[in-house]
Amino acid sequence: MRIICAKWGKKYTDWHVKNLKHMIDTYSGINYDKFEVFTKNNYGNMYNKLEIFNTYKDDENIYFDLDMVIYNKVPNLIRKNFTLMYDWWKDPLDLLTAHTPLNSSIVSWTGDISHIWKKFKSNDKHYLKIYPHSIDEFYYKEIEYDTFNKICYSIKNHQYDTNANKKFSICTFGQMQHLFEKGWNGWWSTYFTQSNAD
Amino acid sequence: MIKICTVYFEGFYTPDYVAKLYDSLHKHTSVDFEFICISDNKNIKADTILPYNHYSNVKKHWHKLKFFSPLFANQNKNDDIIIMDIDQVIVKNIDELISWPVKENELVTYGQWWDNKLGINGGFYKFKSGSLKFVWDDFIKSPEYWQLHYYNKGDVHKKWYGEQNYVKWKIQEHKARLTKTPLEWLCKYSDNYKENLYLNNLYMNKFNTDYMIMGDDINDKIKIIHFTGVGRKINENYMR
Repeated sequence: MRIICAKWGKKYTDWHVKNLKHMIDTYSGINYDKFEVFTKNNYGNMYNKLEIFNTYKDDENIYFDLDMVIYNKVPNLIRKNFTLMYDWWKDPLDLLTAHTPLNSSIVSWTGDISHIWKKFKSNDKHYLKIYPHSIDEFYYKEIEYDTFNKICYSIKNHQYDTNANKKFSICTFGQMQHLFEKGWNGWWSTYFTQSNAD
Repeated sequence: MIKICTVYFEGFYTPDYVAKLYDSLHKHTSVDFEFICISDNKNIKADTILPYNHYSNVKKHWHKLKFFSPLFANQNKNDDIIIMDIDQVIVKNIDELISWPVKENELVTYGQWWDNKLGINGGFYKFKSGSLKFVWDDFIKSPEYWQLHYYNKGDVHKKWYGEQNYVKWKIQEHKARLTKTPLEWLCKYSDNYKENLYLNNLYMNKFNTDYMIMGDDINDKIKIIHFTGVGRKINENYMR
């Protein structure tokens, strides 16, 4: 089984990779064989992530974004089909107007799903033009997918909680990555490797 | 605890601006405080330096708004938070200013005697830790929007400006109280001779006094000189 994350550009640093690995190794209970960091930067944006499916075409794979906090034993995340999260925490009215209800902060699959990459690559300029906001919109409108149950919650509207939500073991800090930086403190800081990111 | 919070980034000002503010604050107050600076240069004079992230979607002086969050800069519930711009120099005792009694849901800012329709001065904000957290929380939901909103509307004429407009709007929207310090405490000054003559005249008429700044003499009522305005730097006489 393989754990994968992606790092390109300067938004995330080696600290974020080290921190994700630390939380997986310390709290998640996941037994994996390999921890892979995907660093190809062909698009300069989140669409870089699609090439992961063309790179890891065997075995069981779980992908995590670098802005996740894993603080307890996680449920079984291994899936046969291409599986990602949905934004269940969003207000239903917001979801109606959102470009997509999907969230690819965690993705799981087994074997070869390179067809996703191939479809995108075959007409990448077109897809980048019609789905400029999010790779998740591409998944939503162009790809067959399954979704996880509620395996994770969002820090949005929960940043002032004094403890992590015990109903979950993973929290996404998507669009709230600043909370990882040095100077910010909350319940999440205690789960980080050493100090916060510079 | 009082925390005096600032932002410095390379490009326009130099680290001596931070040092000048730090030294002049210590020289002119007996009140105990911690001086914090978000900075991209570790060689600045501050009690605590927090990193300025150039790769964040938060730009330039908008980083100031982080201090409105009680989760930032090791704030404690009863702390008084003061945010100051670094383009100002303290010239008289400011115990009254630093220890100004601020209440929950209140923002204290400099009173201004020159023509200023906005009615808020980003050079100085004082508030109770966390009591105005909506300023940061609302901003970070859509930083790209707010950072250009007032420029796109034409309210400000330089890209990335409008932070004061945003804070004023949030104070109004959340029905917080806006309190202004005595007008005569603040001196507005520049490195433009004609503008300084005009400002001197305005100050003299407003406060029935003989001068604002005359040569090396600064009016006794003045506590702070703020080199306010787009692209302004501290007059070189005050950087010594």
